[in-house]
Formats: sequence, structure tokens, C-alpha cells
Amino acid sequence: MTDRGDFSRQSFLGPDAEQILADARVTIVGLGGGGSHIAQQLAHVGVGHFRLIDPQEIDGSNLNRLIGGTKQDVVAKTPKVEIGERVIRSIRPWAEVRTAKREWQLADDLLKDSHALFGCVDGYRQRMYLEGAARRFALPYFDIGMDVTKLDDAQYAVAGQMIMTLPDGPCMRCLGFLTQQRLDREEDQYGDAGINPQVVWINGTLASLAVGAFVRLLAPWFRYSRDFEWLELAGNHQLVSRSRQPDYSFKGPCTHFGPRDLGDPFFDLSKLGPGLTKQ
Amino acid sequence: MRAIFRTTDQFLRDVRQDLVRPHRFAAERVGFISIRAAVTSESLILLAEGYHAVADDDYIDDQTVGAMMGQEAIRKALIVALLQPLGMFHVHMHEHRGRPAYSPTDRREQLKFVPDFFKVRPQMPHGAIVLSHDRAIGRTWLDRDTVINITEFNIIGSQMTIDISRPTGRVDFIA
Repeated sequence: MTDRGDFSRQSFLGPDAEQILADARVTIVGLGGGGSHIAQQLAHVGVGHFRLIDPQEIDGSNLNRLIGGTKQDVVAKTPKVEIGERVIRSIRPWAEVRTAKREWQLADDLLKDSHALFGCVDGYRQRMYLEGAARRFALPYFDIGMDVTKLDDAQYAVAGQMIMTLPDGPCMRCLGFLTQQRLDREEDQYGDAGINPQVVWINGTLASLAVGAFVRLLAPWFRYSRDFEWLELAGNHQLVSRSRQPDYSFKGPCTHFGPRDLGDPFFDLSKLGPGLTKQ
Repeated sequence: MRAIFRTTDQFLRDVRQDLVRPHRFAAERVGFISIRAAVTSESLILLAEGYHAVADDDYIDDQTVGAMMGQEAIRKALIVALLQPLGMFHVHMHEHRGRPAYSPTDRREQLKFVPDFFKVRPQMPHGAIVLSHDRAIGRTWLDRDTVINITEFNIIGSQMTIDISRPTGRVDFIA
């Protein structure tokens, strides 16, 4: 037991795991049904630095899944990032939490020096842009999302995915997840069961898969070497399996992002303030 | 200001593999890592984008040091920075495990050539890195005269490393 808490139940993560996780800086984009689960779980495992980005306030339709959200929050229209911060601090008061109640494109200051980026956003196009940001700053990217498809008048198929990509591995386009067909279809519609169907148990399962993949990167408890992960959740039968899609789609080194795409496009030392030299 | 050097584990494996190759007279090898950069209000992030090995013929036979680059090696590195918006980091390796430290020769020689990169690419940070078999240490110049330590190495891969230098009072931490 240390000042941070008692992590003895996860000691199998290794003798340095507590410090490693406490040093970790994670950015979560989207603090709704998926991101709120991820924030909570990362706080439990002992991550020390959080950057939470979401432009929205909670509303009544979020209470079916947003972890930490209360009826009072709905009345008060509490920003989702504030709810996330409250949940994290209630578990780990020592954690550093920074929040941005705005679109992630306007808060990229919080992405760049993170160690991992969690994307919990709606839509394929948003995912593509967010993974692009992860590549720009050489970050591991964890994406979760679910969808509900109408089978007939009385039946629906519930499905979801957790995808992890690494800077020198295949991206979501290489893997065959982000396809032009999907991007085009998104222009017309998204889901067949109303706008962005979301339920707490699917969000929670996908969030757990993402948190597990993240902890495995930083504090591996078994020998593991894989430069991407794509897990599919068949929600109707509650089965998680590794996607076969990359077997058909993945053709070799990523051609969508290259070394020229790294960093700030117009980086110039002379435009930085004097605070740069203070350590 | 936190200076972060971020690269992938595969990239660093390739660099180490090159640096341990024997040379016909030099006791060790050196090279350059080119970087692009990003900045936040409190972090400067140095993103490794390419490795430039020093050619066999560009070493000088000087038995007083592990490896001595000739003018041609430095000229080639300067050209890379001249033609592209890249920072250049000299890199070599100490053959041990654990955090490496600069030798007096490292410090003296870095001061001789790193500031020259600002003549061709003043917009980018340049610097020097010393690797061991499993750790790294480095410093970056922000202009010809201002040097700060790299305080964090992020090695991204299926086993990821966040290696943070915490001030210990040891000489090797002082830029």
C-alpha cells in the first residue's frame, strides 16, 4: 500500500505497475456512454493523469448509460467532462484531471503529450479524423463503438467493436474497418433504431476491452506482441471474438499515414514563448 | 517545460541494430535521428521520423574516442535538415543496460556540432541522444545556446515504455 492506495489485488501487473500507471497521461474524447466507463475504469486501475474532452452537457437520454450521471446533473445540465472528473476524483483524489468542454479539434493541446488516446465518438468520419490525430502525435489509439441494426419488425442485432491501433501498425483503414462504403453510408443514415442507439451493458463491455488492451500495453502480465487489436462484440449472443476482417483487408505497411504527417504542421521554435526553457 | 522524445519500439530496435554493427576501426557507431515536433503549453514533443546511419567511410580513425565523425558525415546530416523541416539528433549507444550517462567526450563533441544545425534549420530543435540496450538519455537545443534535458522517453509498441527522468542531483541530469 502506498499514498496512492492499495493496489495489491492487481499486483500481477508487475512491481512497477503502480508507478507506471500513475505516470500515464490518457486523453478520452467523448465522455458519454463509452468514455464515462473508460474514465471510471482507468481511475480504478490507478492512471494518474486524465484529459477529458467533450463539448456536451448531460441530458435525460444519457441517464440510461452515462456512468456517474445523476438526475440532478440532468436538471443542472452538468457538462459531461465535469461528471467524468467527479467520478475520477471520487476514486483517486490525487489524480490530475484536465477538462475541455469543446470539440476535440479545438483542444488538441490535451492530446499531444498524452500516452494514449481513447476515441468514444459517434460516426466513422469522426473516428477517422481522431485516429489521424493519434498518428500525428504517435499515440496508441483505442476506439469503441456500437450499433443496432433492425432485422425485422420485432428483432434487432446489437453489435460493437474495440479497435486498438499503434503508430507503426495498420490503421483502421488498412484493417478494413473504415471503408469508403461506410463513410458514404454514414452521410445518409446512422443506425436503424433511432439516433445513435446506446445501452449501458454494451458500452461497458467495450470500454472494458479497451481498458484491458491499454493496461496490457503498459503493464503486460503475459508475453504479448501484436500491433493492432480488433475485437468484435456480438451483443445478441454476448460473444467477443477477434475480427477476421483484417485477414482479407490488411495488405502490408500502412499507406495512409507517413513520417511527413508527424507533428505540428507549421512548427517553428521562434514562435514559442520564453516558458519553453524552464524545466 | 517537459521535453518528450517519442518513437516506436520497432524504430528504436532498428537504430540499435545499426549502432552495434562492427566498424573496421571505430569502436562504436553513430548516426542521426531526424524528428518532427509538436508543442503544448508545457511540453515539447520530439517525434522520431527517420534514421540516418553514418557511412563507413565517414568515420575518422581516432583511437582516443569510441567513434569520431568526419566533416562529410556532419555535412550530410546538415543537408537533410536544410532540405526538409526536420530536427536532427545525434545518436550513439553505450553497451550496457540501465540509464546511460554522457561521457565528457560526448558533452564536448555535442557542443561542437549540434549548434551548427541552427544555421540551416533554426525553426526546429536539434540535439543528442545516448542509448543503452534498454534506456536512453538526451538533451535538446532550442537555439544555439539554450539546452534542456529530454525528461521523458515514450517508446510506443505492443509493450510500451514511459521512461521519465526525475531529478536526482546527478551530474548526468544537468543539461
